[in-house]
Amino acid sequence: MTVRVGLLVRLALGAALAAFAGAGAGAATPGQDEMNVVDQPGYQPSPEEEQLTGAYEKQEVFFRTTEAPGTIIIDTKGRFLYLVQGNNRALRYGIGVGREGFTWSGLQKIARKQEWPDWRPPPEMIERQPYLPRFMAGGPGNPLGARAMYLGGTVYRIHGTNQPQTIGHAVSSGCFRLVNDDVIDLYDRVPVGTKVIIRQAVAL
Amino acid sequence: MIARRGGALALICLISGFVAGCGETPSPTPAIVAPAISSDQLVGKWGFAAYHKDEDRTRTIKEASAQCNRPYVIAKGPTGGVMMNLADQKELSELILKAGPNGQTYLGPAGAPGPDDRIVTNVDANSFTTVWVDPENASRYGTSVYVRCGKR
Repeated sequence: MTVRVGLLVRLALGAALAAFAGAGAGAATPGQDEMNVVDQPGYQPSPEEEQLTGAYEKQEVFFRTTEAPGTIIIDTKGRFLYLVQGNNRALRYGIGVGREGFTWSGLQKIARKQEWPDWRPPPEMIERQPYLPRFMAGGPGNPLGARAMYLGGTVYRIHGTNQPQTIGHAVSSGCFRLVNDDVIDLYDRVPVGTKVIIRQAVAL
Repeated sequence: MIARRGGALALICLISGFVAGCGETPSPTPAIVAPAISSDQLVGKWGFAAYHKDEDRTRTIKEASAQCNRPYVIAKGPTGGVMMNLADQKELSELILKAGPNGQTYLGPAGAPGPDDRIVTNVDANSFTTVWVDPENASRYGTSVYVRCGKR
């Protein structure tokens, strides 16, 4: 009866595409990893589920850029968020991104930060899952996870998730999601006003 | 029947309150009140919101009121119940009000109280609260509050 992680439907779209150069083992290629995921409000993943491994685990990496330290660069194709450290280094986090048709690029700033954000499912989600509350107060199990950083005046956010299995996949409606430990770590490192660059691909 | 039973319980509570302090100590947990309620009271358009922490209840009720632009609609069922969703079910089911354990009012499919039911509490003319009987559903969805869109 209940929709569970095991019921996630992976849409295998297209043949294997060339791996994203420099993205590292396990990095995604668009179209291959799109997931049709039903939100699971209230679901609280275990610590084991939240522990990422491989390329999507938070790590310091070589990263050549002219952007100033403290800048966030999001690579939607590679499913990575980079926090520039300087000296050709960056902290890299694995992320979930927008599904096909929901990806975007641009330049934004973090306009607001929120701990344990409330969740308001968008209308199309209510249509698909009419049993969902139209508002869920923030807290463990909330689909927006532990932290949210709002991008300019857009409807998009960098936020946590209670579905760690979606990291590395195209799953959202255009937001960028990290596992809760990572989004808390990032939240503590970046102030309001932080420059955020969203790119389809990042040349290292 | 249920309405009568709920009313009787409320009366007992009221009377015993003078003797044993029924409800005398404010609790952070919303009091479970067996409501005198009929299916007709549930029919209508509702702002629908949920919370997990009791300290969020007050603001969640306000948020529920603000959700009337996309209300949860409860219609009368063909056999006198109400049409609502079970947990994670897109299709509507007819649910009936029934007596649960400890004088609580349950809302669920016809038959004995079971895991698909929810406990109905804190009912007044313009709002009610539910919690799933199934512990996993209760954990996932928390406490649901429904606030009527357009007061009676």
